[in-house]
Parts: sequence; structure tokens; C-alpha cells
Amino acid sequence: MKISFVLNSQNMSIEIEPNIRLLDLLRDKFNLTGTKEGCSIGECGACTVIMNGKAVNSCLVLAGQCYGAEIITIEGIEKDGKLHPLQENFLKSGAVQCGFCSPGMIMSAYALLLKNPNPTEEEIKDAIAGNLCRCTGYKQIIDAVEKTAKEI
Amino acid sequence: MNKEKFNIVGKPVVRQDGYSKVTGKAKYADDYQFDGELYGIMVRTNVSHAIIKGIDFSSIENHPSITAIITHLDIGGSKKVGPIKQDQPIFCFEKIVTPGDVVAMLVGENEVVLKELAKKVKIDLEELPVLEDTSTALASDSILIHPQYNSNLITHYPLRRGNVEKGFKQSDEIIEQTYTTQLIEHAYIEPECVTAIPGEGNIRIKIIGSIQNPFTTRRVVASVLSCGLNEVEVIQAELGGSFGGKDDTMNILSARAAVAALKLNRPVKIKYDREESIIESYKRHPYILNYKIGFNKDGKIKAMKIDLLADGGAYSSMSPFVTWRSVVQATGPYQVPNVYTDVRVVYTNNPYTGAMRGFGSPQPIFAIESMMDEIALKVGKTPFEIRKINGFKQGSVTASGQKLSGHEVTLHKVLKKATDVSSFNKKWNENKNSAQRVDDSPKSFMNESLVLKKNDFIPPDNLWKKGIGLALSYRGCSLGAEGIDAAATYVSIQPDGTVYLLSGLAENGQGLKTTFSIVAAEVLGISPEKIIYLEPNTSRVPDSGPTVASRATLMGGGATKNACEELKNRLSKILLKEWKLKSASDLIFANGIVVYKGKRPKKISFDELIKTAYSKGVNLSTIGWYSGPKVHWEEETGHGSAYFTYVYGCQVAEVSVNVGTGEVYINNIWAVHDAGKVINLLGAEGQIYGGTTQGAGYGLWEKISTHNGKIRENNFDQFLIPTSKDIDAIHPFFVEGKDKFGAWGGKSLGEPTLELTAAAIANAITNATGKRFFNLPINIEELLLRKKLYPESLKRGSTS
Amino acid sequence: MIPVKEILLPETVDEVCRLLQDTNGLSKIIAGGTDIIPGFHIESPRFVNIERLIDINNIDELKSVSVTEDYISIGSAISFSEIISNPVINEKLPLLVKASRTIGSTQIRNRATLGGNFINNAPCADSVAPLLVYDAEIKIKSIAAEKIMKLQDFLVKPYRTRLMSDEIVTQIIVPNPPAKLIGDFYKLGRRRAVSISRISLAILLDVNNGFINEMRIASGAVTPIGTRFYDVEEFFKGRILDDELIKDIAIKLGERIMEVSGVRWSSEYKIPVVQQVCYQLIKGIERRSL
Repeated sequence: MKISFVLNSQNMSIEIEPNIRLLDLLRDKFNLTGTKEGCSIGECGACTVIMNGKAVNSCLVLAGQCYGAEIITIEGIEKDGKLHPLQENFLKSGAVQCGFCSPGMIMSAYALLLKNPNPTEEEIKDAIAGNLCRCTGYKQIIDAVEKTAKEI
Repeated sequence: MNKEKFNIVGKPVVRQDGYSKVTGKAKYADDYQFDGELYGIMVRTNVSHAIIKGIDFSSIENHPSITAIITHLDIGGSKKVGPIKQDQPIFCFEKIVTPGDVVAMLVGENEVVLKELAKKVKIDLEELPVLEDTSTALASDSILIHPQYNSNLITHYPLRRGNVEKGFKQSDEIIEQTYTTQLIEHAYIEPECVTAIPGEGNIRIKIIGSIQNPFTTRRVVASVLSCGLNEVEVIQAELGGSFGGKDDTMNILSARAAVAALKLNRPVKIKYDREESIIESYKRHPYILNYKIGFNKDGKIKAMKIDLLADGGAYSSMSPFVTWRSVVQATGPYQVPNVYTDVRVVYTNNPYTGAMRGFGSPQPIFAIESMMDEIALKVGKTPFEIRKINGFKQGSVTASGQKLSGHEVTLHKVLKKATDVSSFNKKWNENKNSAQRVDDSPKSFMNESLVLKKNDFIPPDNLWKKGIGLALSYRGCSLGAEGIDAAATYVSIQPDGTVYLLSGLAENGQGLKTTFSIVAAEVLGISPEKIIYLEPNTSRVPDSGPTVASRATLMGGGATKNACEELKNRLSKILLKEWKLKSASDLIFANGIVVYKGKRPKKISFDELIKTAYSKGVNLSTIGWYSGPKVHWEEETGHGSAYFTYVYGCQVAEVSVNVGTGEVYINNIWAVHDAGKVINLLGAEGQIYGGTTQGAGYGLWEKISTHNGKIRENNFDQFLIPTSKDIDAIHPFFVEGKDKFGAWGGKSLGEPTLELTAAAIANAITNATGKRFFNLPINIEELLLRKKLYPESLKRGSTS
Repeated sequence: MIPVKEILLPETVDEVCRLLQDTNGLSKIIAGGTDIIPGFHIESPRFVNIERLIDINNIDELKSVSVTEDYISIGSAISFSEIISNPVINEKLPLLVKASRTIGSTQIRNRATLGGNFINNAPCADSVAPLLVYDAEIKIKSIAAEKIMKLQDFLVKPYRTRLMSDEIVTQIIVPNPPAKLIGDFYKLGRRRAVSISRISLAILLDVNNGFINEMRIASGAVTPIGTRFYDVEEFFKGRILDDELIKDIAIKLGERIMEVSGVRWSSEYKIPVVQQVCYQLIKGIERRSL
């Protein structure tokens, strides 16, 4: 089947098999490997991307369901070679260790700040509760999101 | 030792690999693609213990999607591997000993089709009784899991000190209790993935994967291929977490991929999904821990008799080393004149167990720290007082007879700091008094009908009880008497003053690239931003042993410092000559400038100095080497200097317990660690946040349960690791004890942060409820019923 | 493995009904996909033969919320995030909102739909207990007919409902609850977030001068399917609500749940705890109604 959608601000049209997931579409067809697969059942959040302004697990969306959708991935938030403030603050706060959860984590935080520019600590924790991190204990990630909210 | 003033060490520094990781550009194993690559899909059985009579591929072998079927027959070298005992087959050919076992690998282009075909392979099996339980496996008439050995016992470590029976006779009181700990999964978020690429030129095979210890992988692959180490090149892709878990499994996957790639002369990738990862990878050892402790009314411990029984699962893996750490540290950081310890680890048909962050320490710490609180209650002292009375001091002698010297023994410092910052003593006493009232209330769920009586109900205002608990430990740094302990770092200054750095140890996400860059930048007096850490590759740098045992900062930091000091000496020599100075000690390398602060001060920029050096033909590349001093161990008696230095830590946990539902919420964890000199501050704090969070998961939620050897929890919907909402606050503190080893005495932190948390939480729960809990994890059922509930019942430890 | 060979994107309910006609049980409706897609991954027998997916996310009718004097009508394909942020549902059906907040993660709530939560009749569906105490009904359409059914009647047994293969649930219709009914919802999971329910309980109560005018209780996860306890409700109607009575209610509920569920491996924990939970929920409601 053929789908048309917007990927990181670019219009895309592509022929796909109906049995692939959005995650496969991004990684295999567009080589956007920043989006990771950790559990395949929507529990770990490593595959989180933005779909129509909301965070979703790209392992739980079929590519064929993305008709007309606007998708943003980790590769799409750096603008003109400049890091997004979230990315900057992840670096400064020590929010990254192995980094495998980082793209998904950043996308969840990005979606939160889209709709809620001044989140409380509890709201931040809630927004990233679906993103498992085994390295950091979350504290420095929450710090990074708080700092970003203050800056923008 | 720690007199120096630091410019970069101990300050927040952005990670070397940070930019690529926050932009999605970092390449993890599955992010690599190679032209013509094929996939390898495993063929497994659905049994736990059986003799393989035959494998019939006839129903699938001519299928167009199959390029090759790989079995043990394709292996020219070692068919079985293992770090200590070579008992684990790359492909099983004699027996199935655990459900993760693999008999063959289907190779082809379409992994989806191959997965379907894998189910159709007919394997003729003669099933054998499944050994699930360590004591059954040890029975003299038990069937042997590996018939080539004459027992299911993998290792037995005794430790004998003084006369334990005499010690008990001299004691006023004796407590004996049994504790148990559970099987858990590392739960790195990135599942295993590796690609083997047939080599070009003299390199036979190139391996790129999610590999914790590239040199170990190289050794295993070379042995399986029966070729020279220099013919195998192992490159570590960006690693998505490991925690000790991407060692044996990855070595074996690499070997399978390598055998297939060489047979087909095409790249072969193996990529596990979460379920396969949990089914096949090794886990943390479950222990049954029996402690008998004699002590006097003043709280002084006289004797300990300790019996630890660990489940090694189907393969020995690192079990002998894991349990060796247990025998060294089983008595905790306490002075005990009479000790009689036996540690055994046993083969069963359960998932095999091996290295995991903590490595044989979280289990005994849970038991001994629970017992210390029991002793405190018995003699009417606080947990703080009982540890103050018995804890190691400078020059104390450990159970194995090692005198603690040559480094600062900071046990009492960390204990005092942790109890001070948490107001431990006050809170503990208050909670204890209110907990007593709850326990007195006649609340028993255990009646036949399960229906509550009227006085069983708990008023909403009394539901949540606060508790505070602490745990204290000492930990031997690095490998100790387990093995040869040395590491290398390559440093090369380029003509423009930028620097390449590469260590033989591996970045596992912990931040080693950054830590070593900080060490190098500090010595050379430049910004860490001028340093690029090279791609880890076994053919570019000397074997530095595995990145385990919290040894990277200590050993690799030492090697990096040595390398940079060597280069600094070479640079200083140039200046001594140019500026006609007598001693290099007056030269200061800092902030990109070299300064001489003598009568006639001089200075030169680092970059300028490098230009000069190049113009004079000075070699500005070197390999630094750092090796630990000799340690020894007597296997028969358990005597010896187990480790050349130690670290100390104390954690306090404050929890709220819902006595109606069994839920536990962690309000605070104060983590005080002496890791020696803190090199990488953000990284060190990250270790504390991450380690305590893992430790909390171990204490409260995480468990892999098995039935007939088969795993129930095979994905993150059932294996529950902590989320962002499960812990309120973690407060890290560092006590920088002095040490002569490593880079300015920078020692170990990764594992100490994890090993204490579950024990501290258990003690906090006891403080809140007035009840002792003997079995990890203390989940909702354990808390209310003091037992685990499974679809099938499993026997656990003490019930009262 | 995902067996799907075709994804259809109808824009009206009628079109869905037509597509459902032409089937040999190989077609299935998909909305959020948070049950179906992981079901494919674990090769759940519920989804192995699905070749055609009918995606209903494009149908406005199934995404809308409307209110009349008597009813709140909620489109079956509304996501839990939409429920949480919908002012009408927040005002009228606070227990449903509270339950919705406990479902999965933000990512799951952005996709998972109200209809999808009960359409498979999983015992741990968190929205079911609130819907049951709100007396929810559902509208079902097929090419031939349109019918309305009580949710409790729709749910037959675990993973089994009265939905026929050519039918679609289009609306969840909830009678406007009387303002006097106040209540609470409780979910017990093993973790604070992204947790499967061990126990869920929804209670609505109308207390008039200390007497129980009306009480509604429904459970999830602790019973084989979401269950309303009409007999318990009736038994205590008109009685004076005091501490003793609240304990009696909880005990009675425990006994009924035992009858419904039988003794299972988890009963030893769940039965006493659900009674305690019932007690504390009603105590909390009692305080609020004073």
C-alpha cells in the first residue's frame, strides 16, 4: 500500500507492506536508526516518536495507520545544526549513560513541553513513566526536563 | 596522595559520547547494516532437560528462504566454551540442560519466515528429570546435568577462622535465620545484537556487536574458529546497557554468527527480541543464606557460621568468581573473631547465572544487614550503634585474615555521614515505637475463608507507616585473587595539540570514555574537549582484561594517568632544555598553558609546545600500563589478601508502607559512598542514582520465576523494573577516602551503589511494620503474607 | 509475526459495516492497536489469522463526545488521553477519568481507546469497573441493524463478548449520573506506573441524612471479568452508613467475590485486600459526603 505523511517536516510518499510497523518504517526504510526497539510490546518506550503532536510507541503503530500523519523523530528536533534545548540539557545534566533510552526519553519530554511548557516534577515523571531507563535512575533526566522548561 | 589541586577532576564534564547519543546518531549494534547481510534465527526445544537423540531438518532444509542451517558440525574449534569451566556448547549436540539452549541456527534473508521454519525442526529428545532445586541437585543420587563432571557442585569455598563453636559458647545470645534472594534479569534496554563480517586480508572475521568485553569475545570466537587471536577483530558498537550481562551470551552469539559468516562468506547478523534475550541470557544468582551469629549483651559479635547455597543454573559461567566474592565479604564489614563459612554453587536446569552488577555481594548483604538489625533489637541498641561497635576500623583484620591498611578505612565516616544527613537515629526510634502498635493490632488475613473479620480492617488514617533502615558494606576493588589485573591506555597527541585516547577497557554506558578523558585532560592541562576517544577495537589496543568488578576507573584511570604522565615528562624535558631549568616539578600544565613559576616566570601554550615537540622529533604517543599489586588466596582455608584495596558505603532508605495492601513507596535514599577520589562528578552521581534505583528494583519488584526451569516473566510487562515514578528522591554523597592506587586514588563505585539498597529497604520495612522479611523481593504478597504467590508454589526461606 | 495483508481506512461507520460483511473471520477492527499489535508479537491465538485490519481512526463519529439532558455519548475510538482532557467527561464521569489516568503510559493513553479497552474483555481492563457503576450501555451497529446493550450484558466471560463478527461498537452511552452520587476508583498495581491491575474497584454512593439512598459497586482484575454487584448494593440500601456497616459491606463484597471467582492462586492476597480497599474507599466517600 502507498502512504503519504510528513516526516521531520518533509512530505513523504512511500510504498509499504501492510504488515510493517512505524518503527520498521523509520529504521529500515528511512534509515532513521535513532528510534530504538527494546521490547516490541509498548512497555519500554525506546521507540517513542511524536505522531500528530503526541508521544506514541512506534512499535505499536502500523505504518499503514500513518496516512497523513505528522511524525517527528529524534533526528528531527535538531534545527540548523543546533541542538534542541532538551538535548543540550540532557548533556549538561548527565541525563545520558548508555543512551539507548535517550532518543525515546527526549521525544516523550518533547511531547510534554509541546502541550505543557511549565510542567511540575510530577507531570514530568508521569510523561516519562513509559520510558524505561536502567542506567540513570531518572533523576538527571528529570533535572534536564525541568531546566529546559525554565529556559524556553 | 590527595594533595593535588584539580582543574577538571571532580567537576561536571559533558560526556564524550553525549552528542551522538542525544541526537540519535550513536550507532548501536542493530544500527549497522552490511551489504548482503543474512539473519541467524535460533532453533530451540521446549524442554528443560533431555538427551538429544537426533535432529531432523528434512521438513525445512530445502525451503527457499534457508541459505544455511548451522549446527555444531560446522564448528572446527571448541564446541563448548566458558570462562572457567568449558561446559556451555555453542550449539547443543549431546543434551538440552535449560530452556534457553540452542541446537541449531537457520540463516537466511527473511527473519520472519525463518522464525516460522525454526518451529518445524523435529528434535528427537529423551527427556530427563528436571532439577529445579539446589538441594535436590546436590543429593548424592541426583542425576548429573553435565555427566563429564562427577557432581552437580560447581564450586565450594570454605573459610575458617578461629573456633566458631567456642565462639558460640562464649556468646550471650545466638540468632540463626535463613534468607533467600531471587533470580533477576539485568534488563539492559538494548537486547543482544551482533554481526559477523568475513574479514579482508589477514583478518579472518570482524565482529561488531553489543559486547561488554571485546577481548573475551575475541578469545571465545578465536577458540571456536580455531584461529589466532590476531585474526579476529572485535569492535564494540555503542552499548545499550550491560550491567555484567553482555558477556557470555554475547561471546556465544558472536561465535555462532562468525561460524555462519565464514561458512557462507557473507555478513550474518543475530538480533534478539526481548523474549529471546530473557530466555537465553544469564541472570543474577538466587541464594539461600543461612546465618548463625553469636554475640554478647554489649552487642559485640563473637562468632558467625554461614552457609550460602547459590543456584548456578545450567552452566557454570562466572559462578566460581561470583561466589568467591561472597565468601570474602559474607561476614559484612564487621570484626568477627570466629568464622565458619561455606559457599556452594550448584548446577540446576534453571536459567544459568553469571555476572551481574554487584557480583555475589547483594545477596549476603541483604542477609547480614538484616541480621545486624535483629541483633540490635535483641540487645536494645540502634542499627547505628551495633554497626559502630562491630564495624571495621583502620587496621582491622577481615575474615580471611587480611589487615585493612594502605588505604583509608572510611567505614565509620560513611556510617556517620549517612545517619547524620538522614536524621536516622531519631526517625528510627520514632517509627519503631509506632510500628509496635500496628503489630499488636490483631490483624490476620490468614483464615480459611479469606474473609476479613471486623477488627481486621485498618482505618484509612493508619494505612501508611513510615520506616527507615540502613545498610553498610565494604567491597574489594577490581578482580582480586580472581585473576590477573592490568590495563592499558593508548594516548597520542596530534601536531595541533588535540589528543586521541583509547583504553583496552570498554565503555558500557557508565562513562569511562569521559572519565579517562578527564584524567588525561587533568594531567596534560588541557580541556577534555580536545580529546577524542577512539572506536573500541581489539586490534588497536592491548587486552586490558574485562570491564567488570568496578575496576575501570581504578585500573584504566591508573593506566591513562601513567600514559599522560609519560607524555608530560617528554614535554617537560623539552622545556627544561629550552628554558634551562633544573626540575620539572616547577612546571605547571593547566588550562592549555604550561607555566614555569620560578624567579623568571615563563609560559608557553600547550599547542605551541606540541609544535615544538614535533619539530624536534619527539614521540608523543604512548601506551600507559597499570597493574595491581599481587594478591593471594588459599582455597582450602579461605585465608588471604583477597583484594589490594577496598571501598566503603552506607545507604539509608526511608519508605512508606501501606499495611493494608502491601505497597511500599520509597521516599528517600541517602547514599554515602567512599569511591576514593571522584574523577567524573556527573558520572559518579549518575552511578549512585542508577545503582540505587536498580537496587530498589531488586528489593521490591524484580523477579524471574521459573516452573520446571521455564521462565514466566519474559518481557517488561511482567519483569517490572523501576519507572520514573517509583522512587521519590535519591541523595548522593561522597566521602573521598585516601588511597595510593589508581588515578589519585579514584576507585570503585558502580557496584557499591547497587549492593546496599535492597538491604536498606528491607530494614526500613521492618522499622515500619515491626516484622522481619526474609525473602526478596518484598513485593505486595511477601509484605502481607510473608510468602510469594505463584501459579505453582515454590518453597522459600524462614517464615517467622 | 504480523500476518496482516491489507489495511483498510474507511471514513464512515456504514463503510466499516460493509467491510465487516465481507469476511471469513479474517478481518478485525483496529483503533489504537495497543492490544492487537503486541498480540501479534507474542503470537496470541486471538490474532493469528487476521489478514485484514479495518482502521477506524479516520471516522469522526467514533471520536466525538456529545451530551444531552439524559446521556453522555462517547465515541468508541476516543483515546484515554482525550478522555482525560475532556471537560464534559471530567465533570460527569470523574471515576472514568481517574481510571483512565492509571492506564499504561502516556504513549499508551495517546493511542489506546475506550472501546478497545473492553472489546476484548480482558479481566484487568481498567475502564470497565467505572463504566459498570455508571450503568454504561453500548451501541452496536451492523449493516442490518443497530442495537443498544448494557455493558454488563455485553461482557460474557474472559476474552469473550456478545459482539458478532459483522458488528462494530460505535458509542458508549452513559446515563447522566445524578449529582448526588459521589464515588471513587482505586487501582492496585505492583508499581506506581505502567502497571497491570491486580485489583480495581469503583464505587458510587448517594448518602441522604446518613442513610444509603443508592450504592453501586463494580470490580475489575479480582473477578474473572469486570463485575457489578447488584445484590450487595441492594442488600445495604436504606441502611445507616457508619463504620460498622462499611465493614459489613466490605465483608459481603469479599464473600461475593469469592463466590464469583472461586479460590485461585492469588486469592490469599487479593480477597482480603479487596475488602480492605472497599472499606477505605467507602470511608473516603463518607468523609466527602458529610
